[in-house]
Amino acid sequence: MPQEHLSLSRLERLLGSSATEANLTEWLFPTKAELERIHGDDLTISVTPDRLDLLTETGLSLALAGALDRTRGPPPWPRRPDAERFAVQIDRSVAPLRPALAAIRVHAPHGRPLDSDLLAEAIRFQETLHATVGRDRRAASLGMYPLRELRSPLRYALEPIDQVRFTPLGETSARTAREFYAQHPFAEKYGAYGRVDDRILTLRDAEGHLLSLPPILNSGSYGEARPGDLDLLLESTGLTERTTQEILGLLEVVFAGRGWSWSPVSVHPAREAESAGAARDVPIRIHLTSRALAERTGYALSPPEVEEWLRRARLGARAVPGGWEVEVPPWRPDLLGEVDLTEEVLVARGLTAEEGRILPSRTRGGRLEEVRFRRRWAPLFLGLGATPLCNTVLVSADTVEALGSPPAIRIENPVSREYAYARPSLLLSMAGTLRRNTRHGYPQIWSEIGPILDPPGTGRAAGSTRYHAALAWAEEGRGFSDVAAISDCLLDALDVSSVREPFDHSSAIVGRSARVRVAGVEVAELGELHPRVLEALGVPVPVAWFEADLSALWPLVRPSGTH
Amino acid sequence: MPIEEGAIPELTGLSPDQIRGALQRLKSKRLAVVEELHRSEPSLTPRGRAALVDRLPERRLLDLLHAAGSAGIPISALPAAGFSGEERSAAIGRLRRAGYLDGTTPLRLKVDSGSLPARLPEEAVLEAIDRAQPVDDQATFRQLERRGLVQTEHHTMKRWAATEAGRRLPLDDIDSQVGPVTAGMLLGGRWRELSFRPYDVRSPPPHRLSPRPHPYAAWLEEFEEILVGLGFQQAEGPLLETEFWNADVLFMPQDHPARSIHDALTVEGAPEIPPPEPLLLRVAAAHEGRPLPGLAVPLSRGWSDRYDPAVARRPVLRSQTTAVSARFLADGPRPPFRMFSIDRNFRREEVDARHHLEFTQCEGVLGEEGVSIRHVVGMFRELAEAIGVRELKLRPSYFPFTEPSIEGYVRHPLLGWIEVFPGGLLRPEVLAPLGVEVPVAAWGIGIARLAMVALGVNDIRELYDDDYLRLRGGNR
Repeated sequence: MPQEHLSLSRLERLLGSSATEANLTEWLFPTKAELERIHGDDLTISVTPDRLDLLTETGLSLALAGALDRTRGPPPWPRRPDAERFAVQIDRSVAPLRPALAAIRVHAPHGRPLDSDLLAEAIRFQETLHATVGRDRRAASLGMYPLRELRSPLRYALEPIDQVRFTPLGETSARTAREFYAQHPFAEKYGAYGRVDDRILTLRDAEGHLLSLPPILNSGSYGEARPGDLDLLLESTGLTERTTQEILGLLEVVFAGRGWSWSPVSVHPAREAESAGAARDVPIRIHLTSRALAERTGYALSPPEVEEWLRRARLGARAVPGGWEVEVPPWRPDLLGEVDLTEEVLVARGLTAEEGRILPSRTRGGRLEEVRFRRRWAPLFLGLGATPLCNTVLVSADTVEALGSPPAIRIENPVSREYAYARPSLLLSMAGTLRRNTRHGYPQIWSEIGPILDPPGTGRAAGSTRYHAALAWAEEGRGFSDVAAISDCLLDALDVSSVREPFDHSSAIVGRSARVRVAGVEVAELGELHPRVLEALGVPVPVAWFEADLSALWPLVRPSGTH
Repeated sequence: MPIEEGAIPELTGLSPDQIRGALQRLKSKRLAVVEELHRSEPSLTPRGRAALVDRLPERRLLDLLHAAGSAGIPISALPAAGFSGEERSAAIGRLRRAGYLDGTTPLRLKVDSGSLPARLPEEAVLEAIDRAQPVDDQATFRQLERRGLVQTEHHTMKRWAATEAGRRLPLDDIDSQVGPVTAGMLLGGRWRELSFRPYDVRSPPPHRLSPRPHPYAAWLEEFEEILVGLGFQQAEGPLLETEFWNADVLFMPQDHPARSIHDALTVEGAPEIPPPEPLLLRVAAAHEGRPLPGLAVPLSRGWSDRYDPAVARRPVLRSQTTAVSARFLADGPRPPFRMFSIDRNFRREEVDARHHLEFTQCEGVLGEEGVSIRHVVGMFRELAEAIGVRELKLRPSYFPFTEPSIEGYVRHPLLGWIEVFPGGLLRPEVLAPLGVEVPVAAWGIGIARLAMVALGVNDIRELYDDDYLRLRGGNR
């Protein structure tokens, strides 16, 4: 779950009351945020991935004020009617690299310019959004600029790297963009998203002042918002229009919650650009019908109740015939449709375990016949004195190597060597078990019934799921003939006649492994592990094993009706 | 004074089986102790023994070439000279590597007959093993081992000695009385001449550890029984899924942080599988917020501007059994329906006491007219009570495919409240593309965590326990 470190004192200021660990835990339990810990002023919060707006002090205080019934309805987020229209032109050159751009202007309330508290919160939330929605800036990134010296229209384009000089934010002297790309750690990390060959993304104003090199860093000359600023430009560049709108909308919550207002920015896409951003002039509205609400929640709620719960969810609802029309704030991209609003009502209202309803069953339950067939093997193995296992499908690279690296599906992004392959046979899992049990005495007889993934080269699609049953017998004096007897015994119990034929298993002593066929179909393997394998596993006694492919065997025994 | 186990039959006249049994009983009564000495020694396999008699293929080829002189021998003539295909390849390869042959055909010796070895290193090793002499040339030994001509045999020598208690045991009576009744006594009627030693029936017998069902597997079976009893039909699906069934059809956005909570493991070499085209088009429309084919209005705003069918084809290890539900719903079940699946899933997570990258989920769907979120809660309560859990509390949650989404928490005696019942009502963006027209409740219970509560286990890794003594009823 996404997690962030917030400032407890900032949250308390916004909430207008103090908050202890105990009451924050209680307040947050019915919301989609969770208190992880408080350490001094450091407040660690995790949220469900749909509510990233709660990863800011402002967003969290808005939600808590509603949940605690201190404030209802959406925070005012007025569009400022008299603001001069600002514009951004998207050059066609950006289309193959990072085609979308979204932007708005935000305006400080009268007498309360940007302060360091809001600026710090906005910058930190910007980084949170880069890491989440922005997919580490690959999908989208944000920029925040003071408008005091900028002239409309801005231009978003790809420029030759050698024509760009740049004073990075936090520095005082200019350097060439080529030097910046070669030296700055941010350029090393994010440079690939803003550069094609020797051309880089730039955002300039009408007079050619450089605001930033998207998506890496703002310019220190014209791209640094400071306390005292009254008018800011917020923009997002990215791969799709939807993502840029989403990340920008989320950032707006910190300004909306502090009494700011907004005005649209015209975004003019290049004629041949594949996709481009657009100004958000028309608010998104979702229709919630009273019928859908009743059906999904199971409650008969009166219209005033529904309106109250929506307002406590910090949403604005207008009654319309058959339901309500709800305006979606830009920081709530999780509200996609009517069903999302039903959840908002439910979360605001609360739901307890006692309110659950038992639905009488009108269906007959049952197990899959193939599963019932597999289950028949467990008592057979127990009867043979074998200890059942419930091993993982993922096996360690060490075990695979100990068995002579048989073909197996390799995990491309493993967490560790311990879980680096998907087992192609239960033998691999049992070999791991034998390795882990060398401190105990012998005999040891193990059994397992479970899934495997077909390795490449079986004639079936690699990775097909099959179910196997296997037994491994580790004891001085035991060998191939013992597991051959078990193979015959188990297959006789299923009423099938089987034929054993020589087969060189890579982990077995040559001449001491076999395949078993039923009606011409390979259904099992058995053999005696080679001393080199035993040595690699650290097992001091001989081990013989039998492994049946139940997925192959099942269709062959089914006609007998023995299940 | 310790005595080797192999010497006891001669000293006692008892059979090896009788001796083994007696020694184990003495050991379990702590009257005797055993010391095990392990040694390995090389031996000839049947093929190696045959090669020693019939001569190695490289020696036979060397002799043939020597006899043929400068004319050489074509490779095609070797089968007639008694070489099998395998022998032919081994012999030619071996002589080429040793520098006796050049690379030309017909085969011809590169060296004069005076330079030919009287004995090849392989022959020397085979003969040394046959005479039980030490083998110094380990490289040649390993090469012969790969060819299946020699092997390493591991031997364990057991030396038994009486413990202090064993030495104090009075033996006078034992000499004149016998213990077990044997077939020999019965067949010859000798039992009439014998006196049987009375046993101390109160003395503890040897401790036997008997196998028993694996506790986790057995618990999962019990849980299945509960679901069958509640009218649920079982279903299964493949462990290796495509992104389409694992995520896209469940309305999980293709490039969004929500997808990262199901960070999947990807595999090498598995084929990409395209989803069924008509369903793909409907799923793409739902993701992009467009009306489904044949509908006038979109189901919702959707997730993105561009749904990528290439992502849909990629194979991943299944990260949730909801993929099984999706396949079940795509088959068009007739309402009312109830389906469950208890199966494994994989996520790219670090393993600790609460998390495992391979975990079992209990997936369930319940579809019929009138199903609401309160029925999901009711089902959680029913399942919790069925396994003896009384304390359940709920909080809102998030899953891209359900709305509303809730999470049920139960109390673990040591770990506190743990989330085990996640579920909700499937979204229209999931149901409509699949052609399902009734509301469907769905959940994917973290059954491993529920098992921890029920079995009193504090670490999820213990569910996969494979300790021999513990699983056979020894001390935990």
